[in-house]
Amino acid sequence: MNTFYATNLLVYAGVDIIACIALNLQFGVSGITNFAFIVFQAAGAYAASVLSMPPDSNPDYSFQLYVGGFQLPFPLPWIGGALAGGLVAIPVGLVVLRKLRSDYQAIALLVTSIIANTVITNARPLLNGAAGLALVPQPLQDQIDPRSDEYYYFYIALTAVCVGLVWFVAARIVNSPYGRTLRAMREHELAATALGKNPVELKMTIFIVGGVIAGLSGAILVDFITAWAPSVWLYPETIILFAAIIVGGRGNNVGAILGALLVPVGLEEVTRQLIQMDIGPPNLIPALEWILIGLFILGFLWFRPEGVRPEPRHVFRGGPDVGEVEHGRLA
Amino acid sequence: MAIYEAAFGFGLVSMSVIALAAVGFTMQFGITNMINLAYGEVMITSAYVAYYLDRAGISIWLGMIAGGLFGAVFSFALNRIVYAPFQRKGTSNLGMVIVSLAISLMLANALLPIVTYNSVSYSEHTGSIVRLGGLVVTINQMIIIGLAIVLMIGIHALLRYTRLGKAMRATAANPTLARNCGIPTQRVIDMVWLITGGLCGVAGVVAALNSDSFAIASGAGFLITALAAAVLGGAGQPYGAMIGAVIIGLITELSAATWSAEYKEVVAFGILVLVMVLRPQGLLARRGALAAAG
Repeated sequence: MNTFYATNLLVYAGVDIIACIALNLQFGVSGITNFAFIVFQAAGAYAASVLSMPPDSNPDYSFQLYVGGFQLPFPLPWIGGALAGGLVAIPVGLVVLRKLRSDYQAIALLVTSIIANTVITNARPLLNGAAGLALVPQPLQDQIDPRSDEYYYFYIALTAVCVGLVWFVAARIVNSPYGRTLRAMREHELAATALGKNPVELKMTIFIVGGVIAGLSGAILVDFITAWAPSVWLYPETIILFAAIIVGGRGNNVGAILGALLVPVGLEEVTRQLIQMDIGPPNLIPALEWILIGLFILGFLWFRPEGVRPEPRHVFRGGPDVGEVEHGRLA
Repeated sequence: MAIYEAAFGFGLVSMSVIALAAVGFTMQFGITNMINLAYGEVMITSAYVAYYLDRAGISIWLGMIAGGLFGAVFSFALNRIVYAPFQRKGTSNLGMVIVSLAISLMLANALLPIVTYNSVSYSEHTGSIVRLGGLVVTINQMIIIGLAIVLMIGIHALLRYTRLGKAMRATAANPTLARNCGIPTQRVIDMVWLITGGLCGVAGVVAALNSDSFAIASGAGFLITALAAAVLGGAGQPYGAMIGAVIIGLITELSAATWSAEYKEVVAFGILVLVMVLRPQGLLARRGALAAAG
């Protein structure tokens, strides 16, 4: 196993973990079925790219068309990516998170995801259309050679710092009074409303927070692979993350990490090994991977809806009679 | 002016195709409370059934019947094997959406190794041209429009004048009460999946016939337009879906004529967003054939 391969695996794992924690805050903790999640990751990736790339009039970049091109130094594109994820979340949230039935919200977000991809694919001058952006500069590439082992270690460290940061923020949110309110809303929106909580505002906040984290994950990913195109953020990519949360344990941050390691990272890795073995028609193995992801979702929803690591029961010890509190179940 | 007349002609065809798709989709939701996101993939699978028959030299109209039968049987089985057990288990509406999305993904990928990503088209996909005043339509498009009208009248007659239709309306209004009144709701729901699945299959073949070419990726577009028409008309309302189809069919074709054909689905989506913001209950909420009386 060479360093590049290991770096690849670790960076992807980091990105998937960050994405799963963000989605878990929305879907697991707050009950928002964000089927457009990948759009926020894409927003972060595109923003980070155009913030760090030179303008498209630069001779090396003139084969692509895009807006911006600000050549900002390293931490700024990532911060910009995170902000972009949050900014995109605002209009989407304003439309979708109103008083719609939760399944309506889910399909509205799914359709948003498909349409956003169609628009970016067809509107070439915006972000180079279907071909996507390439030659995205990597962080500090003028100081460390991006093809050296040192750079790989540096990138892993950067990713790890971000994972730690996101984990810290998510843990704080889940254990705060705000997190309790989110869970109350998820369990019984009407009851939470009756206690004076504003569900639209609560959902909007966590939607933006999730968007920011998703944007950061996109920025990390794009600066590592140095390219980004509509074909890498099709809506099924969101479904993989949902599968990860459902398998890992909805509402549990540890479960989200476990799910990220099992489903996107583990399954991708197994698939890649199988593809190298060259069995059957060319599309067979990737197709089987998706079928397996579908089966994971159905199987877990049927046999173990709470996931491998169920959400811990948050019981208030001082209460008069806890009784049989039915907890966080999708089924 | 000619461009608008042509667009109107295309609009007539488009609304027929969308109506066929949207009515089936909305009935599934109205009667069984199931937002079946696999609908677009069942449509495309049926289109491929007709495609392989077409390649074997069988007429496309027989292929359409075969596609309809396939859609009916497949949807029936899908409900019996997956959806109904999950619903019986008490899975929430949201959980069911996730289940149907997983099914949609699995179906598309089960199909992929067979059909690959390539675009295909039926061998006889235009037919000779008919001029009606300023409108220019092909024979095939005339047949599509006629078929849609006949099937829409059929659905209307079914819901209004038959015992089965009455039982469907009762099941949609209140399944428990309907069962207590002696309506075999299980059998009614089976019939709903057979009928809507048939509509879905026919709609798939018709949609594929009406586009220059189709591919596995077309399923998502089919779903979005059906969804937009259904939501615009008021989800669960067959008549609403018909009105929604007329509006969406016309607007998308007019926008394609004046702007760009690539953005047809985007326009449908724009309408969907407007409806969700301004009138989330849709145009015909609580009035159409499936709504509770009074």
